Amino acid sequence: MRGPTLGWGLLASIVAIGPAAAEPTAETVARNCFVCHAPQQAGQRGIPHIGGYPPEAMVRELTLFKTDQRDGTIMSRIAKGLSEAQIQALAVYFSNRPW
Amino acid sequence: MTLYRTMDRTTSRRRLLAGGLAALGTTLAMPHVARGAGQKVVVVGGGYGGATAARYLRQLDPTLEVTLVERDWQLITCPFSNYVIAGTVEIAEITHGYEKLAAGSVTVVHEEAIGVDPAARAVRLAGGTSLAYDRLLLSPGIDLNYEGMPGYSEEAAEVMPHAWKAGAQTLLLRRQLEAMPDGGTVIMVAPANPFRCPPGPYERAGMIGYYLKSNKPKSKMIIFDPKESFSKQALFLRSYETLYPGIVQWVGGGSGGKVERVDPKAMTIEAGFGTEKGDVINVIPPQRAGKVAQLAGVTDEKGWCPIDPASMESRKVPGIHVIGDACIAGAMPKSATAANSQAKNAAAAMVALLKGQPVPEPSFANTCYSLVAPGYGFSVTGIYGATPEGIKEIAGGVSPLDASPQSRDQEATYAVDWYRGMAADAWG
Repeated sequence: MRGPTLGWGLLASIVAIGPAAAEPTAETVARNCFVCHAPQQAGQRGIPHIGGYPPEAMVRELTLFKTDQRDGTIMSRIAKGLSEAQIQALAVYFSNRPW
Repeated sequence: MTLYRTMDRTTSRRRLLAGGLAALGTTLAMPHVARGAGQKVVVVGGGYGGATAARYLRQLDPTLEVTLVERDWQLITCPFSNYVIAGTVEIAEITHGYEKLAAGSVTVVHEEAIGVDPAARAVRLAGGTSLAYDRLLLSPGIDLNYEGMPGYSEEAAEVMPHAWKAGAQTLLLRRQLEAMPDGGTVIMVAPANPFRCPPGPYERAGMIGYYLKSNKPKSKMIIFDPKESFSKQALFLRSYETLYPGIVQWVGGGSGGKVERVDPKAMTIEAGFGTEKGDVINVIPPQRAGKVAQLAGVTDEKGWCPIDPASMESRKVPGIHVIGDACIAGAMPKSATAANSQAKNAAAAMVALLKGQPVPEPSFANTCYSLVAPGYGFSVTGIYGATPEGIKEIAGGVSPLDASPQSRDQEATYAVDWYRGMAADAWG
């Protein structure tokens, strides 16, 4: 099931922001996520599958982790290293990968 | 299925010429010339770093000819090998083959790399042939420096196992624990920094504590350590006190924990405070980059490999990239996840460099789970960036000391998911 589509406002802001110079691309950052959020069926039980994840929901969840408004384990620590622009770019990246 | 693709010296020189012309092509801003040549990347070492790199190199540039050189037909992972020692996981569950990699688009050559000729851009194999490369990636892991612990040797490891390379040594340590009578003493000799898997010795001590408490509760597990601090220290020490009081004990450098010598005949260790006898003695000796890194000339005087933090290219020999435990990765630990992350960033850098393009900005990550009992896990994680001074941490940290039992259980579940994801990312 696909979630709500990305709002035009959000999309426009991502296009406008883009990756700053000397910032890794969303794809580069996302490759680190594959270790736990495996693209293939790796028989995982506890870790959510995030391919095709609704982008607005992902922005919300990562922001809640980043600001300690949601209980988490490693994601609370990882999200603090992601900029708002990176969070938005990752949300778009994963929403377009429905594996 | 494994396909061999080796070539003799003459062919390798001809390739070198072609490589030179291709390089000229890229400087003239004609990258298609270089790509048309079917550029060759050789990856040495089929662990987490090398296998992951081989897969991503092909994904990032399907025109590349990628050859993975790995002596062994199966890889037994160090991650989760502590659970094999404690008897909660079987070794078959942490054993991986190369069939999926070889069935895909990576050529897997099961031979030992015995040398690198950077001038000819060729890797020498034990069988007498050579593999030519345009860029080489070394992911050789570690070599154990037996001489670094007086009294210890490869032969002594048959009596006092290190179990720091998973396989026969892992099973030997497990059998020794199983054979030990209740009331026995298990000694671990922990290494000084740097070494593979900084939380590994302490996870092992916890899991041995779990085995002893469940099976031989009158026994003891004592860690002798030259260090005063170590990875996830507060979490480990709290877990020993909580789960294994009177069983697991840590003696740090300040309390005479530095072991000066081991005696495999007498089954003793000599530390600052005197001699201690053990029924089972696990010696984790000092380490250095895997042998092929030494042979390739990419190691420094301490035995590790300095690299450019953005591309993972050796600071000593151009055209050779080094990842994983062997390299000096700044703030990143020598861990499987670090090797995985370095593999992907190095693969992207190598693909860019082969096309004559700038190296993309990397993003590194690490996550290490430690279990000290089934259902009792905690983690360290970090994300990292490249700076001119080396790889620096951007954010990260360890599990809270006062986390709930539910959270510890959740992290234990995540550890298994992590293991499966990591294996799929590396060996398919």
